[in-house]
Amino acid sequence: MKPSRAFTLSLFLPTLIFLAGMTLFPLLFSLGVSATDYQFGGTARFVGLRNYSGLLTDPRFWQAAFNTMIITGAAVSLELAVGLLLALLFHRRLPGLGALRVVLFIPMMLSPLVIGYFWRFMFDPTFGVISYTATRLLGHPVDFLTNPRLALAAIVIVDVWQWSPFVFLLALAGLGAVPADLYEVASLQRASAWMQFRYVTLPYLRFPLLLALLFRTIDTLKLFDLVYILTGGGPADTTVNLSLLTYRYGYTFSEVGRAAALSWLLVIVINVLATLLISALKRPAASPVPAGAADA
Amino acid sequence: MRRSAPLKDTLTYLAALAVVGLFAFPLVWMLLTSLKQRVDVFSSHPFAPFTPTLANYQTVLASDFPGQLLNSVVIALASTLVALVLGAFTAYGFSRHGAFKGGDNLLFWVLSLRMLPTISVVVPFTILFNRFGLADTRLGLILVYTIFNTSLAVWLLKGFFDEVPRDLEEAAMLDGYSPPQVFRRVSLPMVRSGLLTTAVFCLIQSLNEFLLALLLTDTKAVTAPVGLANFQRYFGLEWGQFAAAAALFVMPVIVFTVLVRKELVRGMSFGQLE
Repeated sequence: MKPSRAFTLSLFLPTLIFLAGMTLFPLLFSLGVSATDYQFGGTARFVGLRNYSGLLTDPRFWQAAFNTMIITGAAVSLELAVGLLLALLFHRRLPGLGALRVVLFIPMMLSPLVIGYFWRFMFDPTFGVISYTATRLLGHPVDFLTNPRLALAAIVIVDVWQWSPFVFLLALAGLGAVPADLYEVASLQRASAWMQFRYVTLPYLRFPLLLALLFRTIDTLKLFDLVYILTGGGPADTTVNLSLLTYRYGYTFSEVGRAAALSWLLVIVINVLATLLISALKRPAASPVPAGAADA
Repeated sequence: MRRSAPLKDTLTYLAALAVVGLFAFPLVWMLLTSLKQRVDVFSSHPFAPFTPTLANYQTVLASDFPGQLLNSVVIALASTLVALVLGAFTAYGFSRHGAFKGGDNLLFWVLSLRMLPTISVVVPFTILFNRFGLADTRLGLILVYTIFNTSLAVWLLKGFFDEVPRDLEEAAMLDGYSPPQVFRRVSLPMVRSGLLTTAVFCLIQSLNEFLLALLLTDTKAVTAPVGLANFQRYFGLEWGQFAAAAALFVMPVIVFTVLVRKELVRGMSFGQLE
């Protein structure tokens, strides 16, 4: 019996109408706003592309774009490295390791707001535990949040603390998918540890790591909560990223048109990057398992 | 054969313990701070022993915070419930009747909502919510959170429906069930645990959301994260009370995490990995 057309439609239509209405309409509305000089509660005049050109000549925009790239590049590469190392460490089947693993999964499930404030407390120069430890070890306090370079590092450190476990989780799933007999074949063929990793393990990690790269890149590009809480963009606006700048245009400087323009730019950049990463995900692995091992 | 390396095992344990200690430290520190009096919070020797007190928790429970926590819970539950209903229908649709022209693109579009920067929707929502009287209401936040929860629910539940054997559905058809009956009486009960898992991830995602709640609420519909931020803005030095409120807020999420630990990969990878 073929399902009736009415049944199929009733499965899809409510969701699709809801999602389209709630996302496409606001986004198009925001595209319209980006072509005006609208202020909250005020009237709007059409200004064409002036918000976009104003953006490109605003040094604050370039600073924010630069900060976003630094934070994303540093945080995502560290997260991939730390996550992979954690996975290799915890992958061994030893009693008790499983219970320890769960503890590592907790940070990524928690509210970024709570985490941001809590690290700010720990970074505090006078009574923070990090500063205290630094004084004990280095002989002088380290004030992460008032030094521009260290403030960017602080954002990266907290993001890595929260999200390396995510890479760890995905990599662990990849390692778990490697058939055990592949390792036996490899050791029978006297493959070195590196060769085993390169030709047996790595092919199984390719998909999870690319997936982690996709999620982390996009989430760090649009990062807001952590920057807003931890540094608030300071000291002296040196850590403002694109999301925080959009917020400031809209809610501090009341340049809603320009905020809408920047938010559209962000949507486009993220879409382009996501499309590139997803096409890499869909491509089949370039270096499969060496001949002979697969049918062992 | 591999068991003959006690030194390697010991080193693994030591490294694992060190790593876990490092990652757990901020959380343990938060719990300790929540039990400290103000003098101990500002002590110049943070590791010195102290007499624990529950005073911070008492202050927090007598403040606005429980009301904000209630807002958070109501908004999270409602948006999760709507998302589960919408998600179950549509995930089943994509799983069983998704082979139509453009079906893949539609599914991908639902996924792409996960990529949408919150800041990009919050600007138009601020304007529209003010115009339609949805600003500072629970209903407003429920509507917005349902977007992101539905997107997640469709992808997670599609994975669970894909695992239901088709033979079962075909057998039910032969018994005279209509397609809607097959869905309701055969397939849906089979994904019961999947619905529960999905609900947990939607709940956590909604409880933790901050930016939309910050800009779309003011006084009445303030959620716990926004309440915590306000508290910090006005009473910046009361870290003991902040830690107590944060601990109350975070505790259920930690319990949830332990409950769904077997499905974490699936939930966190948007159903892309199991």
